[in-house]
Amino acid sequence: MNPRALSAGLVLVLLAILVVAPLAGLVNLRGLPGYQPDDLQFWHSAYIRRVLFFSLWQALLSTLCSVLPAILVARAFALQPPFVLRGFLLRLFALPLVVPAVVAVMGIVSVFGSDGWIPLGRSLYGLNGILLAHVFFNLPLAVRLLLPLWQIIPQGHWQLAEQLGMNAWQRWRFLEWPALREGLPGVVLLVFMLCLTSFAVVLTLGGGPRSTTLEVAIYQSLRFDFEPVRAVVLALLQLALCVLVATLTFRMQRLPEVEISIDPVTGDDRRWHKSTNLVLILLATLFVTMPMLSMLLDALTGPVLEVLTSVALWRSVANTLFIGLTAASLAVAAGWFLLGYSASLVLSGQPGRARVVDLAGSVIYVVPPLVIGTGMFVLLSAHVDVFNWIYPIVITVNALMGLPFVIRTLGPAMRQNHARYHLLCESLALEGWDRFHHVEWPLLRRPLGLAMALATALAMGDLGVIALFGTPTTATLTLLIYQQLGAYLIPAATVTAVLLLLLCLAVFWLLERAIGGRVDA
Amino acid sequence: MLEITRLEYAYPGTSGSTLRFDLAVSNGEVLSLIGPSGSGKSTLLNLVAGFLAPASGHILLDGVDIVSLPAASRPVSIVFQQHNLFPHLDLYTNVALGIDPSLRLTRSQAGTVAGALERLGLDDLQRRKPGELSGGQRQRAALARVLVRRRKILLLDEAFAALGPAQRAEMIGLVKNLVQENDMTALLVSHQPRDALIASRRCAFVSGGRITVLQPTRELLEQSQIPDVRDYLGSI
Repeated sequence: MNPRALSAGLVLVLLAILVVAPLAGLVNLRGLPGYQPDDLQFWHSAYIRRVLFFSLWQALLSTLCSVLPAILVARAFALQPPFVLRGFLLRLFALPLVVPAVVAVMGIVSVFGSDGWIPLGRSLYGLNGILLAHVFFNLPLAVRLLLPLWQIIPQGHWQLAEQLGMNAWQRWRFLEWPALREGLPGVVLLVFMLCLTSFAVVLTLGGGPRSTTLEVAIYQSLRFDFEPVRAVVLALLQLALCVLVATLTFRMQRLPEVEISIDPVTGDDRRWHKSTNLVLILLATLFVTMPMLSMLLDALTGPVLEVLTSVALWRSVANTLFIGLTAASLAVAAGWFLLGYSASLVLSGQPGRARVVDLAGSVIYVVPPLVIGTGMFVLLSAHVDVFNWIYPIVITVNALMGLPFVIRTLGPAMRQNHARYHLLCESLALEGWDRFHHVEWPLLRRPLGLAMALATALAMGDLGVIALFGTPTTATLTLLIYQQLGAYLIPAATVTAVLLLLLCLAVFWLLERAIGGRVDA
Repeated sequence: MLEITRLEYAYPGTSGSTLRFDLAVSNGEVLSLIGPSGSGKSTLLNLVAGFLAPASGHILLDGVDIVSLPAASRPVSIVFQQHNLFPHLDLYTNVALGIDPSLRLTRSQAGTVAGALERLGLDDLQRRKPGELSGGQRQRAALARVLVRRRKILLLDEAFAALGPAQRAEMIGLVKNLVQENDMTALLVSHQPRDALIASRRCAFVSGGRITVLQPTRELLEQSQIPDVRDYLGSI
């Protein structure tokens, strides 16, 4: 059997087991303690109706507040003539990808809390805070996803528009909007999905009776209310919503696999357009950087020594690194095998099957981490002490979460590499270790390094399944921060958050450099 | 001698026409394959190379059927239109891969590589990377690797399409010499009838997944009365 097919097949089987087994635990409602037949008629529960409504409402608002400004900012980047720091700012917009959610929350609180630069007072906790945090994460993401859409507009079209004397509105109508509408639905659905399944943000900034989403309600049902039946009903509802949104996303996503270019598509020499674009870019940059800067300043005046000498901190650091690196390694290995097989399917004229293999790596979008965690909790708790299984469960779920990012980061380079050199390698009997050593590693190490760095940072910063299963001895830094927040130790939480951020950035940089090599090499 | 006998292939996912090839090429001969895009010329090369598995038929080299051999085991070298060299490896290493993919060469093998590069006029460029070379030099390096591999069959799939007319003529001349000196058999796919005129005594016209005409090259290109051939040549 084809070795690529065999290794990809093993990964697919493992993925299926990891998803199906917890789901099997979820559907066995009747086996759960406290089960009543009426539990299935969830629409009769005012609590569940309220949670469902808020989940959808906050996701919808967050999406609108993220994507609409992102269109303006992406357009500003695309049309603004080259300026100093353009490349740096675009890379800065990738920062929220590696900032842990709980760290971003600390930053939001630092800026918009009662002692912050723009105090919102108590109204920060609830929908307002959730929206701010979601926009912090998703506006830069949407900008980076939308910007390539301007870059695929042929240069000749811009020149034609200029020749025909089109004004800004006409250029938008005839050039920009047709390009944008191809990719916009996919971006909207992706951001909606991310907001719908957001956990750490809602847990820390929401969570009251009026600001609870399905994800947080699942967590509360399991960890505090000891109502596994309600947790399972909520998990199944969340699963149904995610399947629906994921199906729409995969059908409608037509985002080009284009590297974000540093060069703008066309300059606009009108002064007021230039100023408007610069203001938009500046505002977006401030919004992305302010929380981190503010938090840094707060941390410097916080109980730094006390936090650094805490045993709990260093135990959490060790747990964070162990879970992060292990989960990322699994994600990268799984992604490598899946992408190698899908690239060979494309070359053999089977693009449909290749897409299915790639999509399998994004299964976490259909079955959210907390749903898997809930399923595992229910499945295992009848047989073992689940809190002894924390490392395998958390690592596995985090690996699943990192896998879509690995596929998106590594996929284009692997497919190109395979398309260009597979036949040559085959004709030269270059296979196995020789092929990896002489061909794949030198040509793919840079995207591989980025994939590993990204997956590690994501796993290190996750507060999801760890919140469900974590204990004081197995806590990661994110859980420690959450515990500090819960105990109103805000200054200590701020210091810990900054340490986590610095650790994530340092590990990201080290891995990218160690695996990817020097940029100028 | 290379003999292709009742070799049949159907593209995956298509229900309809099957490609079928019958062909015999002598040792020391370069046979040109011309025809419209999508006619099956590259598919034929891929079948001979082992990249595609035929539904039925035989590929005989000096009487031995190689159709069931995997690509790496076949006595075939292939030169593509592009991406023949790995961009991160220097010329010497790219050619050396043709002898041993693990690059553990004996002194004798290292000498073979150096000799091949010298034969193709590349001995001063051994340590250069492909990106530092011209298109013609890159294709010469690909031919140097063909030389060191000492395989009996040489396949050229639009290998010189990106070169100018004078360079193409020079490269084809090199190929002819290599094929004759090493008693190889070569199939050359090209969209340029002039390439066929320079390279081959005989030329095959491929259309609709079949070899419909096999004639002396000059006769095919200058005197053909077959409508398909005249339509094709008229469009170039």
